[in-house]
Amino acid sequence: MIGHFDWAGGREAMLRLGPDAGAVVIVALPAFEEANRTRTFAVTVMRALATGGIGSVLPDLPGTNDSLMRTEDATLAGWRAAFAAAARATGARWSVAIRSGALIDAEAELAGRWQLAPQDGAGLCRELDRLRQAGSGASDDTVEIAGNRVSGALLDELRPAVPSTARVVRLASDAQPADLKLDGPPLWRRAEPDNDPGFAAVLARDIAAWIGG
Amino acid sequence: MLPDGAPEVIETVRAVLRDVLGISAERAAAFREETPLFGALPELDSMAVAGVLTELEDRLGILIEDDDVDGDTLETFGALTRFAQAKALG
Repeated sequence: MIGHFDWAGGREAMLRLGPDAGAVVIVALPAFEEANRTRTFAVTVMRALATGGIGSVLPDLPGTNDSLMRTEDATLAGWRAAFAAAARATGARWSVAIRSGALIDAEAELAGRWQLAPQDGAGLCRELDRLRQAGSGASDDTVEIAGNRVSGALLDELRPAVPSTARVVRLASDAQPADLKLDGPPLWRRAEPDNDPGFAAVLARDIAAWIGG
Repeated sequence: MLPDGAPEVIETVRAVLRDVLGISAERAAAFREETPLFGALPELDSMAVAGVLTELEDRLGILIEDDDVDGDTLETFGALTRFAQAKALG
């Protein structure tokens, strides 16, 4: 179900799934191209949560997806403010963040945060630099990275950003520390968006147990 | 656990190519030393190269500087595994 939420900078759309009553989680996709690669998978996790009686919302952040704001006008401060407003508007008390989505939930008032393969701002920017060199390059104050026009100001905001404290789940193939390691594919790397309903169900079970505990 | 031997690094490189390019396990298992990569695999465009390098960094716990990478690094599966081994095992 598509709804809307208001924040200080305007109105954005959000996808809402699951029961109206009870626990609600709010989902943060990674920034830029990885959002496209993980959206279908995130919605599959949301559907699995709904099957277990947990509601979820996936807000559009300003300058992403169907937002009317231009991508090059997006700021991290705006993303955080909009995400916090969406959590308030929907009564969401838990966040589920994928990759650099873990940088976006900082200002939301939440009972807990859950992160899949969180990526800090330094790692994100290093990757963006590499993608930019692989692609077409820069103009005045914006750079084009894999088809996204990104402002230099946004990159400056992202570079020092670090994820909030959370329950961290990583892929078994990932060398970094985590609360739980699971076998699964790094869908955020796929050149073509892909899905893995079995892995989504495993993650939804962990999220449900974590909320229940 | 970081891969700590040459065979583990080879299998890590194979898994990275499989996961980033979205190719089948059978196809990835058939990669040999001399198997050509860049220019031979349609899935491996310049964006995918960036993904391969970053995923190798994450899985091997290494840092790859852009100066380290040249046109030959991804020419064959053997060249890429030798590069990864030099980075990961020193």
